[in-house]
Amino acid sequence: MTKFSKIGAMLAAGGLALGVGVTSVAAETMYTPNMSYRTGPFAATGIPLMNGQRDYVNMLNARDGGVGGVMVDFEECETGYNTNKGVECYEKTKANAIVTQPWSTGITLQVLPRTNVDRIPILAPGYGFSPMSDGETFAWAFNPPVSYWDGASMIMNYISDGDMNSLEGQKIVLLHLDHPFGKEPLPLLEKYAEQYGFELVPVPVGLKEMQNQSAQWLQIRRERPDWVVMWGWGAMNAGALTEAAKTRFPMDKFVGVWWSGSDDDLLALGDKAKGYKSISWNAPGNFPVIDEIKTHVVDAGNSMIEDASDMDKIFYQRGVVMSMFLTEAIKTAQKHFDVGAVNAEQLRWGLENLNITEELLSEIGMSGMVAPFQMSCTNHTGHGGAWMLEWDGAKFVQASDLLKPDRASIEPLEKEKAAEYAQNNAPWPTRDSLPCE
Amino acid sequence: MEIFYDVLIDPFVQMVEAPDFLLQVLWEGLVSGVLYALIALGFVLIFKSSRIFNFAQGIMVVFAALTLVGLHENGVPAWLAVPLTLGVMYVLAVGVERVVLRPLVGQPDIILFMATIGVTLFLIGFGEFVFGGENKVMITEALGIPTGAFEFYPFDGFLLIEQKDLTAVIMAVLLVIALITFLNRSSMGRAIRALGDDHQAALSVGISLSTIWVIVWFIAGVIALATGVVWGARAGVSFALEVIAYKALPVLMLGGLESVAGAIVGGLAIGILEKLFEIYWGQPFLGGNTETWFAFILALLVLLFRPQGLFGERIIERV
Repeated sequence: MTKFSKIGAMLAAGGLALGVGVTSVAAETMYTPNMSYRTGPFAATGIPLMNGQRDYVNMLNARDGGVGGVMVDFEECETGYNTNKGVECYEKTKANAIVTQPWSTGITLQVLPRTNVDRIPILAPGYGFSPMSDGETFAWAFNPPVSYWDGASMIMNYISDGDMNSLEGQKIVLLHLDHPFGKEPLPLLEKYAEQYGFELVPVPVGLKEMQNQSAQWLQIRRERPDWVVMWGWGAMNAGALTEAAKTRFPMDKFVGVWWSGSDDDLLALGDKAKGYKSISWNAPGNFPVIDEIKTHVVDAGNSMIEDASDMDKIFYQRGVVMSMFLTEAIKTAQKHFDVGAVNAEQLRWGLENLNITEELLSEIGMSGMVAPFQMSCTNHTGHGGAWMLEWDGAKFVQASDLLKPDRASIEPLEKEKAAEYAQNNAPWPTRDSLPCE
Repeated sequence: MEIFYDVLIDPFVQMVEAPDFLLQVLWEGLVSGVLYALIALGFVLIFKSSRIFNFAQGIMVVFAALTLVGLHENGVPAWLAVPLTLGVMYVLAVGVERVVLRPLVGQPDIILFMATIGVTLFLIGFGEFVFGGENKVMITEALGIPTGAFEFYPFDGFLLIEQKDLTAVIMAVLLVIALITFLNRSSMGRAIRALGDDHQAALSVGISLSTIWVIVWFIAGVIALATGVVWGARAGVSFALEVIAYKALPVLMLGGLESVAGAIVGGLAIGILEKLFEIYWGQPFLGGNTETWFAFILALLVLLFRPQGLFGERIIERV
């Protein structure tokens, strides 16, 4: 896409948003702001995701006239992945929003208490505070299809080949961003380390050190770990992969969370990163939904992607899946409440009763793109599972069957930490006004 | 007593027991130090000639690297992309002088500092508009920078030196030599130094403020390009590169804002010391990631005894 057509797409989006605003008196719309970051140190990983989210909603607007006949006003509020700006965006958009998509664990933690008061559901697919899964405590927060603790348990399950006891005596480094997101898996991994007798070595990477991780990789060289698990984001991923290649760390012993598996980060290294693995809750491939987006959005010049081949990338497709969660929850609410434009409270119900079945995925052209899952009053994540992907030197390929999280270990921890959170933020609202049906 | 042994003795025992690892730590520290010194030099040059703390130095690194990669992506060969990028940096220097600095001549330093923040915000927006925010790959091989590594086995151990790191060090050394020669031997260089010493006196003997500012901003642009190439070769080119500029702040505090030698010595000292501290004390005792603050503590300690920095000029103002 040329620079000028990109500008045209932005203007068209602006015009659409304006049009939506102007016509809102006459026609109903649903305002679903997204706290994006197309600028700043994390833009490189944020842009493909936000493009996928935006294009899926635009496709539904263009092809179906929105969701259930009501146009979706998908507006981005730029945060630069800055928590303070994210809170500003939340405050700016909350008056008309039916959902908030905070797009950072730090921002999610900040807006979490506010959403109870403002009664706006948080939709944080694959990120945020893992105990948000406990719907009885966090009535307004949802993090489908898997939480970070689910991800950590699936990674450990994979590297232990299904036998966690085999990890006894091993040394595992957690290379993580020194940020709320990066620290998220620590409680579960610490519990596992104690339970299964392996040594966990957390190695933090500061925001200013993302591009120069020589100290961290010197430590890894000294520690001689059996595995390195990475909880990285933005420029940290490329920095870590470069250092791993440089220090000759065996790539097949290096596994990242789903945010550490962007094609663009790996393409720079090519064959040098062969064998690197990343867990992912969306599988790469050719899906009918991508063709639909190409027809109705990309070919029509309304996408912000640079090239149509960007649609094959794992992060773009993940963005598409994220918006699907939102629009399917809207459909669920529309059906239940028998309305066109749903409000925030109705969408909360829709999210809580979201049931992504194989039949539904097939119907919307996403079969095999994400694992089926169902959320409920008590389960705000769904815990659908994920696949291990492996970099083959040019692209990610599926390296495992569907992995399922270790719910037996995670659930008690979620309950404990959710209760702890509620106590620390007392008076935390109970679900008296929102009883489980 | 055990704690004293762990903190004061054991790290040195580790250094002696694994000298190959110590050499690797020192090399990595040296490479980081050279890169910090390069960024600091950009700040020093502009401050020396105009008393302006150029907040835009970090984004200039990003902008220069993105321009180089962007030109190459659009089919311009590397040998041509480099001079074209330098041309862009020259145009930027002229633009900054004409549009931002010239109208503010005679204003307090803080106003000029604020103006460089404006330049930063403009370059962020303009850069993202033109190049996008995606991570780009530095054209290392097209520039002829070797990407292999030398392996050594000292003390029955292992030492790995990346050729691109070695190239970075050599390039930085050559750049510094060229810069010092230019400042000391050329008439333009002497004019820059004269302007740094006394604005009024320099102007009274016919030195053109606007010409000098353009030249100095252009040199800062050249340094930014060199820094961008070196850092970009390590972890890609994106707006994340901007944050490395903050690493130059303690270097400036340590070395002094007006001193080229201070930027070099300060950069090297911080690069090596922060790496040693992180590996032998930070990671074992403080949970790691001490590089984010160690340099500032070191600089503060220096400021306690030498407020002007190690090489800064002692300024006494009569009030």
